[in-house]
Amino acid sequence: MEIIIEEISRDHKLISRHRINKDSINIGRGYQNDIILPDPHICPDHLRLAFNGEHWIIEDQGSINGSYLEDGKTSIKNHIINSGDIFSVGKSLIRIVYANHPIDETIRLSTFESLINIMIHPLVLTFSIVLFAFVSGYIFYLNKLTDTTFSQFLIPAIGMTLVFAIWPAIVALTSHFNKHEARIMTQLGISFVFFNLLWISDIIEKIINFNFSSNWPISDLYTLIPIGLAFCLFWLNSYIGFHMGVRRRVIVAAGITVLFFGGSYLVKITNKPEFSARPHYNATIMTPNFMFLPSSDVDEFILNSEKLFTKVNKEIAKEKEKGEGE
Amino acid sequence: MKGFITLALVLASSLFSQIGFAVEQAQEIFKQLAPSLYQIRLIDKASGEKSSIGSGFQISSNGIIATNYHVISGFANHPTKYRIEYLDHQGNKDELILQSVDVINDLALVKRSTKIDMPFFKLAQQIPIKGQELFSLGNPHDLGMIVVPGTYNGLKKESFNDRIHFTGSVNSGMSGGPVVNVQNEVVGINVATSGNQIGFLVPHEKLVALYKSFKLEPPNNIEQQMTEQLSQNQNKLINNLLNSQWKSKILENAIIPAIDVPYIRCWGDSNVDKTDALFFAAVANCSLDENTYLSSTFFTGSIEMEFRYMQAKELNTNKFYRLYEQQIQRAGPSNKAGKEDVSEYQCHHDIVMPSNKEINNKSIFCTRGYKKFPKLFDILFLSASIDKDKQAIVSHFTISGIEQSHALAFTRKFMESVAWK
Repeated sequence: MEIIIEEISRDHKLISRHRINKDSINIGRGYQNDIILPDPHICPDHLRLAFNGEHWIIEDQGSINGSYLEDGKTSIKNHIINSGDIFSVGKSLIRIVYANHPIDETIRLSTFESLINIMIHPLVLTFSIVLFAFVSGYIFYLNKLTDTTFSQFLIPAIGMTLVFAIWPAIVALTSHFNKHEARIMTQLGISFVFFNLLWISDIIEKIINFNFSSNWPISDLYTLIPIGLAFCLFWLNSYIGFHMGVRRRVIVAAGITVLFFGGSYLVKITNKPEFSARPHYNATIMTPNFMFLPSSDVDEFILNSEKLFTKVNKEIAKEKEKGEGE
Repeated sequence: MKGFITLALVLASSLFSQIGFAVEQAQEIFKQLAPSLYQIRLIDKASGEKSSIGSGFQISSNGIIATNYHVISGFANHPTKYRIEYLDHQGNKDELILQSVDVINDLALVKRSTKIDMPFFKLAQQIPIKGQELFSLGNPHDLGMIVVPGTYNGLKKESFNDRIHFTGSVNSGMSGGPVVNVQNEVVGINVATSGNQIGFLVPHEKLVALYKSFKLEPPNNIEQQMTEQLSQNQNKLINNLLNSQWKSKILENAIIPAIDVPYIRCWGDSNVDKTDALFFAAVANCSLDENTYLSSTFFTGSIEMEFRYMQAKELNTNKFYRLYEQQIQRAGPSNKAGKEDVSEYQCHHDIVMPSNKEINNKSIFCTRGYKKFPKLFDILFLSASIDKDKQAIVSHFTISGIEQSHALAFTRKFMESVAWK
């Protein structure tokens, strides 16, 4: 009867696969075997598989290191094979399945696939990298207190771009090491599209902070957008680089997002001094053409400022209560 | 005491300026007044050692001693941590009890116990005349009691709360010591120095007033007394500011307010000399040159206004606004205050156009409250124009220790008085 023998790595990645149509199969290091395993911990005649008309039986041929069911403790003798059983021989693993072994359902190609294809089109890829470099250079130019020449901000622009290219490179390398296709161009393409989306979200946030007064909590909610964007990027990174289930991918992407933003948030709160004598205010200003909302009048401003006194008094009262409670 | 006066008269009659003679005279004065002079020391209870020192002088036969508030402020703020002690000219020490304070004029009354009537300093009846010779007494740097001759130079100009300008060295540790005329009458109390022979004294009439009100009705609670004094002084100051004339002044292309009061002084600067600067900037800064000491980490009563005009040279609008934005990020309070004194700031920001419709600003209002003195707040206001492509005017003020209604009234008036030309 037909049987399939897979040689797999310790993390169950396929190394080689053999389909054999014989009733008796020998496995070992010797060249006379049906399946030759080059592992030095395996004996020349190590294992024998035989079909008795009803079952496949596996038997160790008295090897030095023995053969075990993957998590079993005793060497196997006349073991009836169930489809999908994994055996450890020497330092290698083999998996045995029958032809009728159930397989996972076909995963539909995601609609992202067409989007991803656009992102990795050479023109689009070049455009998004150049755009990223240009924005980095422009920000450097805006922040520089002295006059700058073109070459002066060319260097930080290229530098920033290279630094940001490290992330897709790491993802591609990791997937390569995990026996997946590296797809470096795809990783680069989607990463830079998202980096550019982050610039855009920065600009929108600035416009909101500039136009809205502190009565609008919208600017606080807005911090969620870069977090959402980062999650999408990590999700796509793992979609391209690794074959994993939908749930697992969401967990991985969420995990990296939490690690990233949670980490920087932790750093921020640990560095926050216990008391700050300086006010923390939002002094975002932009050029007049970014102003979209009508201005308030002095009365409205004074009215809103008046509320701060109540807030301050409440805070002091709360602290006093806490102090007396102790 | 009669002895003092006779001696003083003798001294006064022979007061003809000869330096050698003046020194002799100073020595004589010191000898006569020494029994009523004290070193005032703040003793840290836990370690039993002195943590700060100053001077003081007795002003009544029953043991009332005058000194500076800042000499004993540690005790006023942490009565459980310190005790106040005197050291007299014979080396006797004993505890003092805090009776009354005047934080605005930096004065305090403490009392020593005495069973007998003691000699004391007489407070002058009238103010000295300019150029009159005075003698400052005190214990500088714990070196022992000394007497420093100097000259009365009238009241300090442009000050809201009067201080005498005394030409003579007042050193740390002499704080709270008396300054007497040749008749041995107290005309002032050592309080501060600007170095190089410029000293400042609290006029004696402030002490007279404090002692009078103390005799009439001693305060029940020092903290409450301080709150009242701070509020009263700041109300007087802000009312005076709000009721004074606010003139319009030109700062390049902007109109800014100039309050017509002598005690607010202005300074200016610009970056015309820096040829490589990307934008032109001119700054006018006006402030009250005095503040109120509450503790070594807590000051109040300051007022500061700053106007900054900026104009882009060969700069595009985006870059100009980016650099402009950096200029307004780090405004801070003008008075020192710590966690135990004040809350953290709460801020409000909005885009505001004053009723003159002449300017459009991003305005920011921040306030923090005083923990020990309810109803008093620090204010920080900053406004940045956002309606011109290549020009900007930043108007900014800070006021410390102000009541809510005054803060809002001042802010309103300030906001309405900045515009483009």
